[in-house]
Amino acid sequence: MKKYLAQPASAQRVSVCLLAAALVLYPLAFSGAFYRDIGVTFLLAAISASAWNIVGGYAGQVSVGHSMFFGLGAYTPLLFYTLWGWPPLAGIPVGILLSVGLAIVIGLPTFRLSGHYFSMATIAVAELIRIFVGTWALVGGAIGLQGPAMSRGWWDLTFRGDLPYYYIFLAVLAFVLIVTFALERRRFGYYLRAIKSSERAARSLGVPVRRVKLQALALSAAFTSAAGSLYGVKTGFIDPDSGFGILVSVQMVIFAALGGAGTLFGPLVGALILVPLQTAANTWFGGSGSGLTFILYGGIIVLIARFEPGGLFDLWHRFAPRVWRRVHAA
Amino acid sequence: MLLEARNVSKAFGNFRAVAGADLTVEEGEIVGLIGPNGAGKSTFFNCLAGDTLPTTGRILFDGADLTRAPPEAHARAGIGRTFQVPTTFADMSVLANVMVGAFLRHPHRNDAREHARRIVEMTGLRAEQPARSLGTPGRKRLEIARVLASEPRLLLLDESLAGLTPSELQDAIALVRRIHQMGVTIVIVEHIMEVIMTLTRRVLVFNQGRVIASGTPEEVVRDEAVIEAYLGRGAPRQRESS
Repeated sequence: MKKYLAQPASAQRVSVCLLAAALVLYPLAFSGAFYRDIGVTFLLAAISASAWNIVGGYAGQVSVGHSMFFGLGAYTPLLFYTLWGWPPLAGIPVGILLSVGLAIVIGLPTFRLSGHYFSMATIAVAELIRIFVGTWALVGGAIGLQGPAMSRGWWDLTFRGDLPYYYIFLAVLAFVLIVTFALERRRFGYYLRAIKSSERAARSLGVPVRRVKLQALALSAAFTSAAGSLYGVKTGFIDPDSGFGILVSVQMVIFAALGGAGTLFGPLVGALILVPLQTAANTWFGGSGSGLTFILYGGIIVLIARFEPGGLFDLWHRFAPRVWRRVHAA
Repeated sequence: MLLEARNVSKAFGNFRAVAGADLTVEEGEIVGLIGPNGAGKSTFFNCLAGDTLPTTGRILFDGADLTRAPPEAHARAGIGRTFQVPTTFADMSVLANVMVGAFLRHPHRNDAREHARRIVEMTGLRAEQPARSLGTPGRKRLEIARVLASEPRLLLLDESLAGLTPSELQDAIALVRRIHQMGVTIVIVEHIMEVIMTLTRRVLVFNQGRVIASGTPEEVVRDEAVIEAYLGRGAPRQRESS
């Protein structure tokens, strides 16, 4: 064990294995409905924040409108079920395709903007979609849509307890992180970080900036859409606010930023801290309808922006060497 | 003819930063570009690199018209450039910075890293150092390494040697020589006459957006129009009488 402690790289591998084991074993250790609900909520938050991280973190294109993909992913399976009785499982890939299409349509004009202007444009588009969906009767208007009440088979993805959802979500999260890890190490990942740092310099080195940003947004949209679909089928209900609401977008940004945007595990760590905190706040102070969540997010934004723009991972990287030294010396 | 810029102009509103500039560069040359501040050198450079769309004129590189092509197309064609204010990728290591350049001709990570390592070694940088922790001379060096990794045929250096101490300057001049010996054609914008005198055989002098003189470094420093551009009207006469 001493050997591991002396080598941060292997220590990292060990902590990843420990984390994976903890996540796999968590529902077995905590079987209460309350704890499982937290677990599922955490995984969903981690998936969407990690999906956002690809374009918002690595490429530094801070979208605050990712709810457009989340909502599209959540609505599509439920809509196809309501209209034609499609099993939700069949609707998920359609939602992903629609989201990728939307990402390209949105990305082409908005990527001409940079910094805050890009963020503002994404908010505007997401809000327009939310308002539009709220007035469109075919998709349930302001009331929203419902999924299958009774399961006709596993392809309906309608389960009694939270346990099947937990493991499905965990598998999706693992997939998203593995894909991100693989891309991070390739040319694509280097290009994303270069774009984040300086688009002008990146272009001068032959990086096709607009294409790379579009690819990142499309991939991010696909994963976000999948997260939305999982939310839709798990909850069995979706309305404009829970699908396309700005809080959905803001959550992804906050989770990723708190943990560390542009790092592989940052969004997961952010969700790991914030989801239980949120649940606790809702339990203690009653109801999610209160503005407390917003106050919490606002406070976190202020703290991150003021003290730790790099997120907790950055903080860890600065303090870890000292901790290692002390552990080693002891 | 490797590069041919014909009658290039760039206007910002009513102000013509570059007004009908011509430049031809043969393969294997080192050409110097000098001129007082605000003469339009950097704007002209940006036109050559595709960063700025010229208002008029044409830019041909190796026979292909790149006038309206984006900067990434210029890089692919083989025109590399550095920036007057160094713009390194601060969040990445020196090696990762250079790898971004290397990826242009080496799409696979291991090839790119291998290539980048050689360049980092040649330029005397430390591979694992975070780019953020470099000072200005280090950043300028890193910019050169990074663009070198993209294997340009023509390198546009925009005051890459400014702000260096005398010994750093000698190192940098040696580095530019090495790059030139590797077969890279170089156009260099510089204020330091020592650099221009030692490195270049041919110099173009810019003033108010146009080329006012060209020739060997020795010729242009004696040119009356050049002296006037730097020191103002009447300067040559005063100098003679003194």
